[in-house]
Amino acid sequence: MKKILALALSLCLLLAATTAFAADLLPAGDRYPLNSDKTITWYSQDCLNPHEKFADWTESPFHTNLAKLLGVDIQWSFPTTGADGSSFTNTMMADPGSLPNIMKGYFMDQANMLLEDEVIWDLTDYIQEYAPAYYAWLQTNPAYDRAMKTDDGRYYAFGFFREDGGWNDSYLGVVVRQDWLKECDLEVPTTISELENVIRVFHDKYGAQFAFPNDARFRQAGIQGAFGAYATGYVASDYGWYVKDGKVGFGATQPEWREYMKWMAKMYAEGLIDQDSFSMDDTSIKAKTETGKAGVSVTSMGQLNIWNKEMGSDTWIGAHFPTADDGSISSQFGGFGIGTHTTVITKTADEETMKLCLQMLDYAYTQEGFLFWNYGIEGESWEYDENGVPKWTALVAEDNDNDPMTKYNGATWGNSCIQATNLLYLKNSPVAIAANDAFFYTFGKDEYFADPEVEAKTLAVTGGWKWPVGITFTTDESDQLDLLGGNSNLNTYVAENYASFITGSKDINDDAVWEAYLAGFDSLNLEKILAIRQGALDRYESR
Amino acid sequence: MTAHPPTYRHPSFGQRILRDWKLNKWKYVLIIPVLVYLALFCYKPMYGLVIAFKNYKPTRGIERSAWMDPWYSWFEKFFTDPYFGRLIGNTFTISLLTIVFGFPAPILLALLLNEIKSNKFKRTVQTITYMPYFISMVVTCALIRVYCQQDGLISDVAALFGGTRQNWLMSSSYYRTIYIISEIWQTIGWNSIIYLAALSSIDQEQYEAARIDGANRFQQCLHITIPGIMPTIIILFILRMGAILNVGYEKTLLLYNSNIYDVSDIISTYTYRLSFGGGTPQYSYSTAIGLFNTLVNVVFLLGTNFFSSRVSENSLF
Repeated sequence: MKKILALALSLCLLLAATTAFAADLLPAGDRYPLNSDKTITWYSQDCLNPHEKFADWTESPFHTNLAKLLGVDIQWSFPTTGADGSSFTNTMMADPGSLPNIMKGYFMDQANMLLEDEVIWDLTDYIQEYAPAYYAWLQTNPAYDRAMKTDDGRYYAFGFFREDGGWNDSYLGVVVRQDWLKECDLEVPTTISELENVIRVFHDKYGAQFAFPNDARFRQAGIQGAFGAYATGYVASDYGWYVKDGKVGFGATQPEWREYMKWMAKMYAEGLIDQDSFSMDDTSIKAKTETGKAGVSVTSMGQLNIWNKEMGSDTWIGAHFPTADDGSISSQFGGFGIGTHTTVITKTADEETMKLCLQMLDYAYTQEGFLFWNYGIEGESWEYDENGVPKWTALVAEDNDNDPMTKYNGATWGNSCIQATNLLYLKNSPVAIAANDAFFYTFGKDEYFADPEVEAKTLAVTGGWKWPVGITFTTDESDQLDLLGGNSNLNTYVAENYASFITGSKDINDDAVWEAYLAGFDSLNLEKILAIRQGALDRYESR
Repeated sequence: MTAHPPTYRHPSFGQRILRDWKLNKWKYVLIIPVLVYLALFCYKPMYGLVIAFKNYKPTRGIERSAWMDPWYSWFEKFFTDPYFGRLIGNTFTISLLTIVFGFPAPILLALLLNEIKSNKFKRTVQTITYMPYFISMVVTCALIRVYCQQDGLISDVAALFGGTRQNWLMSSSYYRTIYIISEIWQTIGWNSIIYLAALSSIDQEQYEAARIDGANRFQQCLHITIPGIMPTIIILFILRMGAILNVGYEKTLLLYNSNIYDVSDIISTYTYRLSFGGGTPQYSYSTAIGLFNTLVNVVFLLGTNFFSSRVSENSLF
């Protein structure tokens, strides 16, 4: 049974990774422009702000072109500059009568309540007729379809998907100085012992340590997989939970987690981990990496790119997530290639307007719309290269502003669309792409494409253990979770003990200390929270 | 009561208001903007406190969100929270230490400045001590964090005297000291201004008389200066006690890390994490904690005020 389940899961993930090419999408045909005389209001909490060089969206080619292509006037709105996006959306939601027609934000948690209160449209009866391309896209992968509806099968949202199915979700990982590796005649580490050895050699030879911004990066990424543990110590979001054989688990209570902590504590006690790691952020770590105080770290492909740029050389490179010495790894930082933000149609749109909105949103999931959302207008911002792959024209390629492609496209940061992997290749530097490859292809990139088993294994390790995107709690469950303390107290407790174990203020090798730590979860209602989550997961699985 | 001539009739309340209005008409007009401000920004938002007793959901608004059953659920949750004791303890400890060490510091600075004859030197000292107050909290805390790193300034000094290099903010035993010392550094100059102003209003003839009586500088300070600014000190002290649970989250949030939660986590950082630490913000719960905070503050304000009016003639009301 387990094997069949695992196989089925791998198959789902496999599909996720391989399907999304423009050719697989439905053509838009002659459906657009829609030639409507309506004006639609459209709000995006983040990721779709006009480029910083523009005064507002009326100057932005993407926003104005989209309206032209759709044949509908769009009145855009965004959170005020400097405002916290979520707070801004929540403030807007307090007045359901005057919401924009289309809204992008984080609505999955409250989907049931928003439908019950009639704040957003239930799209179930309309989606096939008015958003055929999107509906067809959802049917390509059961995971996509499941994520975008409620437990009782109501469609309510347009999601964000990555064509790569998860590659870019592994944007964080272990990074090392390759010039030092060469000097010391060492290979890029792949196992935990090799990683330990590299840290030791760098410490002896250069006085460098394993230094990382703990809260900003390391705690989410984690290297627990080398010890057979699942999930990370970052409980504030869903990283702290895992799903194995249909059961929900909590990462920081596993015996394997204790082994992980023991290793970290040993490294800390020997002075191999920089003490400042617990108070560093992306800015302060740079002082360490640039002055040779760190030889191994954990960061994102984007930050790695910045480090190298500022050092003027490709000193830092990405490494695989460390495996156990026998090459096994249980979990690592990654995902499914599905965003947690969604776009909904609110009840301020009457039925006719809602149908129009559906068609407008559907465009992004058609062949033509996919290209427009990713690259802009052909011949203007992009053209095909000799291999038939889109590339930027001089308009983008020679623009020295930050992320110039965001002037013309909408998929750079994610929205109600499918993000092309090629867009990420075009946007990022070769060294950043190589780092992302190293983070994601734990069992090798060539092997991944050559051997379906390796592919399935990779997807199981990167996203297969994760708390699925799109699980919805009932209104009642959300209220209970709030009263039980939810993730917040658990996060405080785990973060604090995690630090105490590593720094040695609590001895992780002492069984009594570990038992006391486990007992502490009782007052935090871990069992009850697990039961609620299990219920939600079961409903999700049977969607 | 003074006896009035028999013909005198005590004016009624209405008459008195009318007379007062005629006399002070323009002063009342002047105060209108302030009253409007208070009403709009201090009293009107108080209505929002009602969500401390409701299960507030943004889309349902204050009106339509359901009442909690029982109504004190959020308070009960806070009082039974595993971290309740620690949060209250840490908040009080940090606040009291700030008062014990931080409150007298600007008074001492003001007294010392007052004794300086050279005006140029006095101004220089004043400017230098004000300065940290005008630097953004984010910047000062970043400085403190850098000084406290294992390769930072404090470690350098410690190493010079044979100590070990370490990250000083990783240790529960140093956190409060770092917090209080940096707090004094940040605020001493700014807070001394009001005392300097009070000092300048002391009648100079008193000093002359004291000198004739043979009082030295220290005796003058003890018997004229300090009693002269005592009302100011007491009023500020009462107000300070009224904010005993208001330890701002900014500084703690910028300085603490998970290894020292046991001494550094305070009510305001806890509520901050409830709202912005990932997950759905818990508006009602945070509001309930805020309301509790305010109630404790009011009790302390009234208590200190009562105590002060008993032992000295100075009080707020």
